[in-house]
Amino acid sequence: MTKFKWLIALCVSVFIASPALAEIPFVSGFERFGRHEEIADRTAGQLLLSELNCTSCHKTNDPLIQPKGGPNLAGAGNRLQREWMLRFLMNPQQTKPGTTMPGILDRLYPEQQLGAAVALSAYLETLEQPFPEIRATGANPVLFEFWNRGDAARGKALYHQIGCVACHEPSEDYEVVAVKPSPLDELLEQLDPDELKEMGLSAAARKVQSIPHSNLAEKYTRQSLTHFLLKPDAVRPDGRMPDFQLTAVDAADISEFLITKYSEGQRIEAPPATAELVAEGRKLFEEFGCVNCHNVKGIATHPAKPLAELAVDAENSCVSSRLGNQPRYVLDEQQTHAIRAAFAPAGTTAKPDALHSNMLKLNCFACHERGGQGGVGRYRRPYFETLGHVDIGDEGRLPPTLSGVGAKLNEKWLTSVLQGKGRVRPHMTIRMPVFPATMTKSLPSQFAAADELASPKPSAEVFAKLDEKSALEAGRLLMDVGCVQCHEFNGETLPGTVGVDLLGVADRIDPQWFHDFLRNPADLKPRTRMPTFFPDGKSANQQILGGDMELQIAAMWAYIKNLSKQPLPQKIADARSQNYELTPLGKPVVLRTFMPEAGTHAIAVGFPQKVHFALDAETVRLAQGWRGRFLDAEGTWFMRFAPPADPLGNEVLNLSAGPDFAVLTRPEAKWPVAAEEAGIQFQGYRLDAEGVPTFEYDVGGWRIADRIVPNESNGLTRTLTLTRVGSEASSQVFYRVLAGNGLKQLGPNKCQLGAGVVVTSSTAGELRDGNGHHEWLIPLGSAIGNGTETRVEVEYQW
Amino acid sequence: MVTRCQFLFAVLCVLVCANAHAQSEEDYYRLIDVSVAETLSQSRAKNWKPAPDGLALEVSGIAILDGNRIAVAIRKGEVWILDGVYDNPPKDVTYHRFATALHEPLGLLAHNGSLYTVQRTEMTRLTDTDGDDVADEYVTVAKGWGVTGHYHEYAYGPELDGEGNLWLTLNIGLGLQGEHLKRTIQEPTLGYRQGRWRGWGMKVTPDGKLVPVCAGMRSPAGIGANAEGDMFYTDQQGNWVATNSLHHMRDGVMFHHAEALASMNEPGSTIHEVKEVPNGLPLPQALEKFPQLRPPAVWFPYKKMGQSATDIVLDASEGKFGPFAGQLFVGEFTQAGINRVFLEKVDGEYQGACFPFRTGMATAVLRLEQGHDGSLFAGLTNRGWSSLGSASYGLQRLQWTGKTPFEILEMRAQPDGFELTFTEPVDKKSAEDLSSYQLSSYTYLYHETYGSDEIQSRDLTMTSAKLSDDGLSVHLKVDGLRPLFVHELHANGVRSRDGNPLLHPQAYYTLNRIPAATNP
Repeated sequence: MTKFKWLIALCVSVFIASPALAEIPFVSGFERFGRHEEIADRTAGQLLLSELNCTSCHKTNDPLIQPKGGPNLAGAGNRLQREWMLRFLMNPQQTKPGTTMPGILDRLYPEQQLGAAVALSAYLETLEQPFPEIRATGANPVLFEFWNRGDAARGKALYHQIGCVACHEPSEDYEVVAVKPSPLDELLEQLDPDELKEMGLSAAARKVQSIPHSNLAEKYTRQSLTHFLLKPDAVRPDGRMPDFQLTAVDAADISEFLITKYSEGQRIEAPPATAELVAEGRKLFEEFGCVNCHNVKGIATHPAKPLAELAVDAENSCVSSRLGNQPRYVLDEQQTHAIRAAFAPAGTTAKPDALHSNMLKLNCFACHERGGQGGVGRYRRPYFETLGHVDIGDEGRLPPTLSGVGAKLNEKWLTSVLQGKGRVRPHMTIRMPVFPATMTKSLPSQFAAADELASPKPSAEVFAKLDEKSALEAGRLLMDVGCVQCHEFNGETLPGTVGVDLLGVADRIDPQWFHDFLRNPADLKPRTRMPTFFPDGKSANQQILGGDMELQIAAMWAYIKNLSKQPLPQKIADARSQNYELTPLGKPVVLRTFMPEAGTHAIAVGFPQKVHFALDAETVRLAQGWRGRFLDAEGTWFMRFAPPADPLGNEVLNLSAGPDFAVLTRPEAKWPVAAEEAGIQFQGYRLDAEGVPTFEYDVGGWRIADRIVPNESNGLTRTLTLTRVGSEASSQVFYRVLAGNGLKQLGPNKCQLGAGVVVTSSTAGELRDGNGHHEWLIPLGSAIGNGTETRVEVEYQW
Repeated sequence: MVTRCQFLFAVLCVLVCANAHAQSEEDYYRLIDVSVAETLSQSRAKNWKPAPDGLALEVSGIAILDGNRIAVAIRKGEVWILDGVYDNPPKDVTYHRFATALHEPLGLLAHNGSLYTVQRTEMTRLTDTDGDDVADEYVTVAKGWGVTGHYHEYAYGPELDGEGNLWLTLNIGLGLQGEHLKRTIQEPTLGYRQGRWRGWGMKVTPDGKLVPVCAGMRSPAGIGANAEGDMFYTDQQGNWVATNSLHHMRDGVMFHHAEALASMNEPGSTIHEVKEVPNGLPLPQALEKFPQLRPPAVWFPYKKMGQSATDIVLDASEGKFGPFAGQLFVGEFTQAGINRVFLEKVDGEYQGACFPFRTGMATAVLRLEQGHDGSLFAGLTNRGWSSLGSASYGLQRLQWTGKTPFEILEMRAQPDGFELTFTEPVDKKSAEDLSSYQLSSYTYLYHETYGSDEIQSRDLTMTSAKLSDDGLSVHLKVDGLRPLFVHELHANGVRSRDGNPLLHPQAYYTLNRIPAATNP
């Protein structure tokens, strides 16, 4: 093919195939604020100097305009497709609309450009780096070649829900679950442009432009895009694309969605790379100073004239014309105007605002409002929902304001949040991504300084003095006044409620802010749904702590601070117990569980009469009796670590360890410790028509049926029915009714342990000395005699 | 700078094809939701809560009943009878509670007119004696294993073997502390401490005796018999367990987890006199030093073939579930799927291959059972761990669509390589092209550390690929087969006669023994 024909082919593939798009770099902060004069020209220009990497070549010491840097090209070879690199080098803006990459080949004659691009792409393709191995664990499912197994539909949902569309464009066919519009949105709908301007709402009403996607299917492979999404800062240490801490599968799903969606256009095929081409490419890479922005090991940087020495108004300046041996920046008039402003001498009033500058660069404003600027853009808000579509207003679905955040959150907490370790709003679909630590390490102190929380006041100076016990009690009561309607408490809520968990509030929130916020929430957070509990400084509840606002706020702080060790607010505790507390009504309730006293084979039986017992089916003994409330089943039913269940009631009777029944070969033999030793086997239970279980045990050739029910004196009556099952039923079967120190025989059929439990039996028992204690035994074997069945009834009163 | 000769190449315009996957598992095996639910809680949340409405159908056991009914055990401790479960869509399923107050039952079996389950502390027979369809007898069939109170001490079963024995398996306890330790036994020579029979497979004989059989299990969440009635279990990667595995349970055999030897001196133990446990050796060497140790019949290489193997079910449908009659299906928890296993006997011992089968279940698969129509019921729950899928628990049914997927049906060991059999005739050219295949082998470390990397990996050379006359089988001659190594095959180039690639080109054969050449 001749060169001429080939150039035609190139024109078709490289130029014509791309749709017409804005051919200028897209810098979020500039597009949203700079273009609409919502930030100073100088600020906008400085932002561009940094974001367009002007200062990569034109060095400066000014901390506010350090270059963001370009993508790390180590691994470009297996990350990017060669054909795409070729096209991108030829025409960055048409290949990747909005890119901040300048036209690097413009210094060459047109007929040289393609050859240079071919060589550069051949060189870049040699920069290989294996993709990291994503470790699969029990907590992290990783499918084999997960990048090839993405689910585009799921990826689409994630893309729209977790926050990608705070910056990037939503899909026109994505259906949003109807969210009640916020009051602000309703207001914006009703106003005309003049009114909006008058009310200072023009910015809020304006559509926020999206950072464009290029043809991702041409640029990436499924594997490389998935890995990019998993760890964007490995490629772009500038953090402009933050890390959403995706799982392998989430990343594959989003990648599948993006690759399927952004695959329009045609693809060109590049010629095979030869060693000669690679060498040529490397030479050009050095010569063009690519390394000033794109870190590649072993290639030296090419500094240009320092920023301070540039004459921005000179005729051959890059913002004035396109002359000379320099990369081509296609900028529009507003952008060049801003850049010029950045070179103008600083006015006396303009004080450098590093925090604002950082927020513009990292585009914090895409999600967060601060000082009336930014926040999720008007038409993007509906994508972000509250989990389960619970309506808790915009606060439950949109990222929080950062106005005054430095006075609200302590630096330690802000640092954790920025490191991805402080997710207190898991009820929102949108997630706070993680930015590289190098980019965010100064933010917490900058927020603190800007919002005047450099030296926070300790809680002792903020809150009124109150003794701890009454503080905790009153604090807990106050929670029920309103807090429980919207907040979680150590993972527990009222049914259907989601909201910020108040656990840990004292570790993250400044005491003074907490105090002032509770006094009047709207003062610190306009339009908050948090109501005031102290209208005109007066408590809505005059019963608690004499209605004293200061004492009540102090009590709430104390309770929340100690939440992990305090009982839940009563309303939540009641709601929880409705779900998990077993309350026998009409029929007995049985629960097999672990119990501290009755052991790991516990069978608890609760009765409507509010007298309950637990049987230890391992040792085979009546282990516990109690009155009042029965048991909470949550730990048994649903908790991973299977905590033991404690009786909820009171007046608990703990009976002695060791089996209740045993075959004793000699009457003086030591009472056995375990069922096996006693020769007894637990055989299960049967429920009768009333739902009462009758337990069955086999011992010494007898089957014992054991039915235990409450009696009229609020004790337990135990009826044992013995049936001969073996041909050699033993006459040496004993029932040890009680054991312990201070056992007193009160009559042939009656015995008491200290001042506690009294047992009365239908059959006479005998007191004997155990090993350092007393035991009251009923010789069942002799009671049975030669019959085939007998009954023994024993009452336990305590 | 740029010479003219560098321009001498062609640039072609190629339309980027829509990146759709050519075939999908769904085309061959369709999933029907009988009931699935999503909770607001994360699966590992401390205060996990079920979905606000409906039954917390965390299915931990499935028993097939007559007609349109099945019984399911759920983790909170109940048994429910579901009617109408074969309907598609299953919109009129009725739920009826049969039993309550069970302590985390992890299995369910309909047997002799009753339902049998294994709770944490015992095997229990549930019977309705008065005809109201509610159990009134909770009879203890067997108990006596240690329960220290540690959450990880799950007990699974029962499953019925060909001789009428009811099998159960017992998890090892992990990091026992405090109260738990009071309920342990300790083996004096090796020093291991566990609850009694923890890490053992046991059976209850038809005359009701509880008999310990084999040991060394870590998390044996799946039990199932093959067509011959031999009993298998699956284990899950962790300490001593290199990756997930499938084992033939038989007398006196040790599998992985050394702490199961705490019960070695208990009356009835089938393992004796282990004086030392090798720790840190490659499996082939560990087997030499530890005579009771047996390799699994099948390793499931980690990640590639799942992350937590669960239930085992035999395809006994004789074709109603597609082309895999007589093979085993194994549930996969973390990746929410189902894998497939082909077994053969070499020198009297089971070994074989595993293949991916189906992913995309609603959440973690814990239980599998085959219905009357051949479809598989999958019991799902991911609470306490993590899994793919958007749901938290439920019941799904997997039904064959009637279309035969192009798959490797069988992979058999040969003295000089492997024989692959396909579900449909293959294209001769692709089947005999050596570049259609990639084969590598590796083994694992036997050690107390959590899981093992693949070690001693090597790519193998194939010397010939010969297609059978019926076009269904390929004989691959391979250089350098290694006994006790997993042989991983990727047959990406093989095409059916219609030109389709394999739905799953991967197969992983656990080559414990290389069959001896027989004289013709």
